[in-house]
Amino acid sequence: MEPGSAKRRKIGHSRGESAVGNIDAAASSGLSRGRAFILEAEELLDEVKLDYATALEGVDSLLHKIKGSIEAIEAHDALQIAEAATKLEKKHKIQIPFPEPRPSDKSNYKVAFAKPTQFNVVGSYVSKTMIKAQKSHAVDMVVVIPGETLQEKDYLDLRYFYKRAYFLGVVAAALQKDLAEDGELSYEYLNGNSLSPILTLKPKVEGEKKEGRLDYRVRIIPCAPDNIFPKSKLHLGATLVRKAGGDDSKAAAKPTPFYNSTLVSEYCFFPYLKLLRQTEKKCAAFKKACILGRVWLQQRGLGSDMADGGFGHFEWAVLLALLLQSGDNTRGHAPLSTSLSATQLFKAMVQFLSVTNLSEKPCVLGTATLESETAGPVLFDAVRGLNVAFKMSNWSAAKLHQHAKWTRSLLNDSTADQFTPTFILKADLPWQNYDLIAHLNYDGKQDKTQPSDCRGRLWEYSDKVHRVLKRALQDEELGERARSIHIQLPKSSSWDLTKKPSTKQNHTIEIGVLFNAANMTRTVDRGPAAGPSNEEKEECARFQRFWGEKSELRRFEGDSIRETLIWTSTSPFDLCEEIMRYILKLHLRVGYLEDELVFHGDGFSDLISLKPTDTSVFNAARKAFSSFEKDIRNLDDMPLHVRQIAPICPELRHASVKVPFSTVSKTGPRPLECVISFEASGKWPESIVAIQRTKIAFLRMIGDLLERSKPGEVRSYVGLESSTTTNTELENLAYLDIIYESGPAFRLRIHSDLEEALLTRQSHDKTIDQHHRHQASVLLSNFRRLYYHLPLHTQSINTFATRFPAFSPTIRLLKHWFSSHKLSSHFTQDFIELVALQVFLSPYPWDAPSSPSVGLLRALLFLSRWDWRSEPLIVDTNGDMPSSERSAITTRLEAWRKIDPLMNHTVLFVATAQESSGVAYTTINGVAQPSKVVAARMTALAKTACRVIREEGVDLDARRLFVPSTKEYDVLLHLSSKALKAVGKVYPSEDLSNPSAAAAAKGQSKYKNLSSTAGEDALPLPSSPIDSFFSKLEQIYGTGSSAPLVFFRGGEDEKVVGAIWNPTLGRRVFKVNLGTSYKPVVGGGGKKRKGGDGDEKEEEEEQLVEVNREGILSEIARVGGEVVERVEVQRE
Amino acid sequence: MAPSPQTIGEFSVLPISIPPVPSFPRNVVHYLYVRRNAPKIPTANDSRSLFLANVPVDSTELHLRALFASLVGAGRFESASFEDERKEAEAVAAALDAAPAQAVRLLAAHGKKRKREDQEAAERAEEEAAARLPSTWSRPLRKSGSTAVVLLADEKSVQQVLKAIAKVHKSKKYPTWGGDGNIVAERVPQLGSVWLKAHNQLSYPDRDQLQAAVDAFSTMFARREREAAEIAKRLRNEPDEDGFVTVTRGGRSAPASTKEAEEAKKKMIEKAEKKKQEMTDFYRFQMRERKKAEQEELVKRFAEDRQKLDAMRQKRGKFVPEA
Repeated sequence: MEPGSAKRRKIGHSRGESAVGNIDAAASSGLSRGRAFILEAEELLDEVKLDYATALEGVDSLLHKIKGSIEAIEAHDALQIAEAATKLEKKHKIQIPFPEPRPSDKSNYKVAFAKPTQFNVVGSYVSKTMIKAQKSHAVDMVVVIPGETLQEKDYLDLRYFYKRAYFLGVVAAALQKDLAEDGELSYEYLNGNSLSPILTLKPKVEGEKKEGRLDYRVRIIPCAPDNIFPKSKLHLGATLVRKAGGDDSKAAAKPTPFYNSTLVSEYCFFPYLKLLRQTEKKCAAFKKACILGRVWLQQRGLGSDMADGGFGHFEWAVLLALLLQSGDNTRGHAPLSTSLSATQLFKAMVQFLSVTNLSEKPCVLGTATLESETAGPVLFDAVRGLNVAFKMSNWSAAKLHQHAKWTRSLLNDSTADQFTPTFILKADLPWQNYDLIAHLNYDGKQDKTQPSDCRGRLWEYSDKVHRVLKRALQDEELGERARSIHIQLPKSSSWDLTKKPSTKQNHTIEIGVLFNAANMTRTVDRGPAAGPSNEEKEECARFQRFWGEKSELRRFEGDSIRETLIWTSTSPFDLCEEIMRYILKLHLRVGYLEDELVFHGDGFSDLISLKPTDTSVFNAARKAFSSFEKDIRNLDDMPLHVRQIAPICPELRHASVKVPFSTVSKTGPRPLECVISFEASGKWPESIVAIQRTKIAFLRMIGDLLERSKPGEVRSYVGLESSTTTNTELENLAYLDIIYESGPAFRLRIHSDLEEALLTRQSHDKTIDQHHRHQASVLLSNFRRLYYHLPLHTQSINTFATRFPAFSPTIRLLKHWFSSHKLSSHFTQDFIELVALQVFLSPYPWDAPSSPSVGLLRALLFLSRWDWRSEPLIVDTNGDMPSSERSAITTRLEAWRKIDPLMNHTVLFVATAQESSGVAYTTINGVAQPSKVVAARMTALAKTACRVIREEGVDLDARRLFVPSTKEYDVLLHLSSKALKAVGKVYPSEDLSNPSAAAAAKGQSKYKNLSSTAGEDALPLPSSPIDSFFSKLEQIYGTGSSAPLVFFRGGEDEKVVGAIWNPTLGRRVFKVNLGTSYKPVVGGGGKKRKGGDGDEKEEEEEQLVEVNREGILSEIARVGGEVVERVEVQRE
Repeated sequence: MAPSPQTIGEFSVLPISIPPVPSFPRNVVHYLYVRRNAPKIPTANDSRSLFLANVPVDSTELHLRALFASLVGAGRFESASFEDERKEAEAVAAALDAAPAQAVRLLAAHGKKRKREDQEAAERAEEEAAARLPSTWSRPLRKSGSTAVVLLADEKSVQQVLKAIAKVHKSKKYPTWGGDGNIVAERVPQLGSVWLKAHNQLSYPDRDQLQAAVDAFSTMFARREREAAEIAKRLRNEPDEDGFVTVTRGGRSAPASTKEAEEAKKKMIEKAEKKKQEMTDFYRFQMRERKKAEQEELVKRFAEDRQKLDAMRQKRGKFVPEA
């Protein structure tokens, strides 16, 4: 491009200016940063490319046939419209698709038919920008209505559209006659615009459908010749439909921008075709950029159809072409250079759309001044005089703007995977987008308003709903409650030639609201201050007019008196529902009937009874913890100075499914776990065994000191760990449970830094044998997990729970999901929390979730898509992880996979800023949590859930996602809740050790039993009885690949435990210590030996054995006693 | 049902019929594998003991006593020792023994074993038992598929047992687990909820008992540490066969604690790093080389991206927009 001729196009508003400035920056940075993005985009372009020859086979001959058929239609002279219509309809038994209101019989304008002057094929078929994955493929053929049948004044009062419809009717009649064998003909509205009906032909497929052939259709679009109407009269502010408004002169004065723009668009087919062809020639990457745009828009549910938002591929292409055009202005050059690559152009477009909100400020490309303010979004092409965005609504403009903003922030985040969220992910599923969805029934019969423009009454009604809701929920002065309000209108469909277009009166409007989580919880809205000045009075009056009787005056601190709204609900969802119901009732008189306004989206909170007060309960637990910390720090006679007491349990990081202290009464106290560390000291003995013993003495002392300092308020117990590893003397041996009479209970473990040093030394010590070294390194990683990772993790989760209000409930829902599907015993709590966190920290292609339901669904989406075999989960908790560290983590994963390709030791790889080794959250006792099989099951379950979410759409029943399927399990263990309840509370003096006494106690009266423990406090629970039971079972049967049974269990409320026989333990040769109970295979193996021992034969084969399944189940039943109610064998 | 084999290798198969339990009402057969005990290191009692493999997880000595009584009559069974009990005891002893580590290491380095008189060994065992922490379970469970050694009254009983097992196969009258009518169940601690409750109780042992165990341990530990110090002292003055004197801790100057050593190391690393930092970009050629390296890195990363892309391409569907 020559610098002299390249001139900068004037952009009509200041925001546009800055947009252009940023465009260059966005585009030029493309090369160095997103290399992968560019390569991937190229790959995508290859993948979606359509093979036109096979996909649209036979389209050319069909087009020729249509052309011939239309050309053969006999012309006729002008007839009165009513007469001509009846004649045509009678003769060919078809209907003419007149727009509403239909021309009256008395109208005296005349219609004629003449041979069309011009045919042409336009659209993406010509420019070859169709893609495989499009919803529907259409080849657009425009037929120009000859100028002689039109008059200049036809632009008024729908006259042109009546003539157009008649023209279409004639064409339809002819094609029906000629092309009946070639395909099916029907009418439909062009992009859902009821002013412009068109004819579509769906070709019949003969014989076998060929591979790659698409179900395409040909759209026959009548259009106006250029320059037939006076352009100066067609500006956006003109009022061209006078009759429609009735006789009332006031109504007649309303401008009809939509009608005007439709009219302009009727003769713009050729100019735009020309524009696009020119741009294609000038800019090599233009087509590719258009394809990228098409994919991007399609994944966000945006399209040219009015129901899809009115911004589709065509609008994208035109906007991009206009930005690439060097205009004829005097200033500068075009905003975009034609030498940019496809991805750069795409990025530039996203950048432009993200800074340009079409509905807030009209955007003018070229030199033109808009004479009047229009209500809708404006993207004005000055040269052709068309508002390209005329089919858009305020909400679709907002949606486009928002998605562009989100994509821009993704493209600016160099560390995230930019490609997949931008192009691959389907981002328009209702429940992953909106926190609340409401269905509003619209009854056309009740609606007595007269439409002022030609978009239909439903549209105008929706627009009003949107305006009211926007003012109610997105008022900046009150503090935006909603980030976005979207309205989905029903789509128009095609109809038969012999029928009239559907005149359905009842429609359902879908309203989606995306919360601003910080503001939606507000129960008091402070409006304008009441004051003496006129301005203030007016403000208040306006406020009162809008809010009606809900608004009242209140005095606030600082003596300000304000208009105030008080809402009674508490949760964000209920608040939003309350406001919407109130304001829609007030302004639109809807919601009186039960089913008129239906709200969806709070089904998830009911599942685990999420309450808005839960946050305060969690905070209370935190507070109890800090007072406990203070009590410990205030102890006088401590031999070492306390450095830190850190909580490590989910209850103290807003992350437990149940709120803290909720089960106190039913079971013994459940202590909240913490670790305590002291100042460095040389007093620790230099031996791990001795350190563990010293800790016991230390714990005992802390307990005694606490009891002494707070007599009567505190009880303390030193508890012994029930170890899971074999060598009990090297690990932590004991903990201290401290129970406050006021309720809270805490469990303390001591951190000794020397222990770590000794373990490190042992794990590197070459002089000791491999087994002990391995053991030391397992203990070391347990140690680090307990004393470093968990405290840090707790801290960071707490921080994020404060930053994202929806984070804590999302974690709890996700944990509930894991639990319902009997997976939770295989996953660490912290892993689940990190998955939830990832959805908030890397939310692309959206923004961070603002409600638990959206959070859960996106987390499930993440789990279903996470390819953990080759990808690490990197949670950037500090927000500044350098890419070098990211690649180091990936390299580490690759190394692990090379060492352990079967994934026996390392399965899920999760790294955070504090912990980059990748295995700390997913390995316990040196065993991968979960194992590969369980991780695969998690992915499968998440995939199924996502499929359900996609298929059900808005009608999703939350409970369905949580219904476990038990048919996959070989064995089900039904636990007795009664027996477990009994286990939950134990008193110190109960005599349980002596079997005869226990047996005797059974026979004795209940009361005697009670009296022996009366007045005593129940012992704290070392762990939940189910956990104790199953960890003991795992200890005796082993874990991992050697265990005969793999148990699947959920949280404590899940009383059915599934189990699967390990398929890898087949028949094998007998030897001592096979690790589980085996029985001889009957008739298996070789000949049986005769006689007793010693009488062996040399050539004898070895006797095979197999797992004694019944024997094992019977053992479990015996060990479980009354705790296991029933062992159900589902499969032998 | 086809008859199950009577022997596998040198083991006789002993089927045990297990009475149904309410939650799993089936008649189940458990298979025990029995042979004469022949450990690698023979002991005095080998001839009158039997080696059992695959004992049920809920086995106790009483269970086995009842089992052998039903095979060969009462009075032949003397005692049983279970594999995991033995192993655990050994592991604990080893761990307690390993402290203090320093002395053990020194001795190992010198190829010397501490002299252990029988009496001393018994003393140690007693000491260790006192230092052992109480168990948290009222009744231990055996690891699935583990073994046990049963000591019988005499050699003849062993013969009789093996014969009885052969007879069991013929008569198809398998001995019942827990004795007829499950008489053992009333004499051993109950499993199930009582057992879990007891676990809860035993997890919080009596404070004094706990303190006693800890105290016993510290006395033992202190004594052994003293012993170790003495050994170390002795070694310091004693040249070995080659005439070398081992350098041991606790020489003239006070021993360096590991902590100090680590800190010193940290300081050294810091110092080296600082020095390194000061010297980067000091000369022009360094800068040029660095830039060159950076560029190479870029090229390398580009190649890597390509590779990654190829890998992605191989996984189908990565580049198809979701419908």
